[in-house]
Amino acid sequence: MGKLVRIALLTIAVLLFSAISLPASQPTTTGPIKIGFMGNLSAPFSLSAKAAAMLAVEEINNAGGILGRKVELIVEDTKGEIPKCVEIYKKLVITDRVHAVIIAEKVEMGVAGMEIGAELFPEYPHIFFSTIGSGDDIWHHVRDNYKKYRFGFQTYYSTSTNYLKIVAGINSDIYKNLVKTDKVAIIYEDMEWTKPLRKGLPNVSPPLAGVYKERGLQVVNETTLSLDQKMFSPVFEAAAKAGAGVIDCAIGYIDQAAFVKQWATSSARNIPLMIWGGLAGMPAAWKATEGKVNGVMVGSSMIRVPITKKTIPFMDNLVNKYKIGPIFGSHTTYDTIFGFKKAIEKAGGTANIDKLISALENVEEEAVLGKIGWDKKYHFNLPYPKYVTPIVQWQKGEMKVIYPLEYKMADYASPADLRK
Amino acid sequence: MSEILLKILIFTVIWGSIYLLISLGFSLICGVLRIFHLGYGVTFVLAAYGLWALMEDAKLGLGLSILLMIVVQIAFALIVFYKGVFERYLEEEEVLLTLTVLISLAVAHLANYLYPVTAGVSIPTTIIDDVVSIGYITISWQMILAALVGIVVTAIYCLWFLHTRIGLIIRALSQGLTAAMLMGVNVRRMYYLAMVLSILPPTICMLMIAPFWSVDPFMGAPLLMTAMLISILGGLGNLKGSIVASYLVGFIHAAVSFIFVSRFMGLAALIVTLIVMIWRRGGIFAGETLW
Repeated sequence: MGKLVRIALLTIAVLLFSAISLPASQPTTTGPIKIGFMGNLSAPFSLSAKAAAMLAVEEINNAGGILGRKVELIVEDTKGEIPKCVEIYKKLVITDRVHAVIIAEKVEMGVAGMEIGAELFPEYPHIFFSTIGSGDDIWHHVRDNYKKYRFGFQTYYSTSTNYLKIVAGINSDIYKNLVKTDKVAIIYEDMEWTKPLRKGLPNVSPPLAGVYKERGLQVVNETTLSLDQKMFSPVFEAAAKAGAGVIDCAIGYIDQAAFVKQWATSSARNIPLMIWGGLAGMPAAWKATEGKVNGVMVGSSMIRVPITKKTIPFMDNLVNKYKIGPIFGSHTTYDTIFGFKKAIEKAGGTANIDKLISALENVEEEAVLGKIGWDKKYHFNLPYPKYVTPIVQWQKGEMKVIYPLEYKMADYASPADLRK
Repeated sequence: MSEILLKILIFTVIWGSIYLLISLGFSLICGVLRIFHLGYGVTFVLAAYGLWALMEDAKLGLGLSILLMIVVQIAFALIVFYKGVFERYLEEEEVLLTLTVLISLAVAHLANYLYPVTAGVSIPTTIIDDVVSIGYITISWQMILAALVGIVVTAIYCLWFLHTRIGLIIRALSQGLTAAMLMGVNVRRMYYLAMVLSILPPTICMLMIAPFWSVDPFMGAPLLMTAMLISILGGLGNLKGSIVASYLVGFIHAAVSFIFVSRFMGLAALIVTLIVMIWRRGGIFAGETLW
């Protein structure tokens, strides 16, 4: 009994001590504005995003900070592990008292962070940004329980709705008007993000094949690849046999180097590939595929084209100051911080979290890739034409923008012509 | 129908021969050293990144880089794996397996640190950069050459094991360590030789497949899985089994891809392996001998 009493007394003492030592839960309204950055610092995309965050903070501080307050960036490494992500998120919010947390890695991390963030939010109000994770998980949380998850914002190109409503339209335009074909073969990778493309979204949109049909294209072949697949010859043989005029590849995570190399030596090598994103859109793709990527079209934000006056300086400063090139996630992280800055200014500071959330819902700020802002209801970033991912084509060692036409650097050319 | 059959036939031979090249070294280590070498994937990573480092950083030519890379491979296999792990922990299987996995992870992470995806690592080992059409099918010459090399390397190994004195000793070793030792076999020397022989097929394989395969720091794991699958299906450590299993897996992959859908090729091969293992414990050529 004596032992139990001692334990009980000790527990009460610890609880009392915790209660006394815990700081007030309101975010600080003076002093530096703290932003916590989390990423897998072994992965190139997180490293590039980290450099972009540092660049944004440096530029803001050099220009006088936000409402006269300096911005402080606290960088943490999740090592790509969810338990570590949760632990760090707690540390950033409870101990470091950050005003915003940025998670710049895969969406699973963002979801884990958002869940722990929602538990902490009532006591420790803060903003959460996911700047790399694609798909619908983040904004669906906001849609399904706004009150609980209203602190969460997603800045990453497209959601499923936008893929079907916007990207599919862009692709149709390119196929019909640039490639001059109406026969499409579609290749998906077997991942969560392609599910809405394969199955459609009830009451929102038919599947991708249906959208293409609505837009006057004929889908001649459809197939799905497994993520660990290394041999792609059969899918190219099937597309060629079906008479496809273009191969639409909703892929981003499969082994793209092998995919492209095998396309270039298959029956389908003269049928242009349109890849939605991933390695093919990085400058390293030419080297990694030994030039086999010649003729491939891909959505890429890594092209040196001045979408706004911030685009080229951003790319140059990132390389010059941090020795790292912009890859996916760096633009969105950089733009997010400037969007956050504008929202704080609109809200008059960080004291009132709901005012700050409302400001984020209404903000629009010039960004590297167009205009940064977030949907009022669902908190995904404003899509094309506000935020632009140019469609480029690899032409003899260089990426050239072929779409949108206002940023065009070259005309579309067929892979066969480019190989000549 | 004849078109599909032709496709299946061609890709069975091509993929089967490539899988053979991938798995030959693994089978050899299983057969001679009786070790399930979970660090086998390192050979592919070292081949690719070693060659890249020698060419890009040391600015050496392709031929010299390949030679030096093979020297590095041999040194790594003998010093790190054999002397560092196998010799010390042969009787402590769990330690041995753990260490081999840790070494392979360390090498992969080091490669990722030194040459991340943005470095655009590739190996310029294309021999013929062209395609050939057979009926309705277009295939790259490099794929055909990789398959031919797979067949030739396997044939050389088989002939060597079957028709040379050292080959006979290694086979004897695989049949019974104690008996071989009683007959005066220098076991350590033969183990060294087996280690060296085991790294050549995956190294050659990497050079041949790189033009149509990707090079990434973590490619060792899927290649190890392929080698394991084939060795298990064929019968651990049996070269005859590896040959049959390679072409069987090649056939399953081709048939599933061309008749059904390519996404399930891996799953189909696993299911067949499971069925074979249930029907014939130990694989197609069950029995702990090299041949």
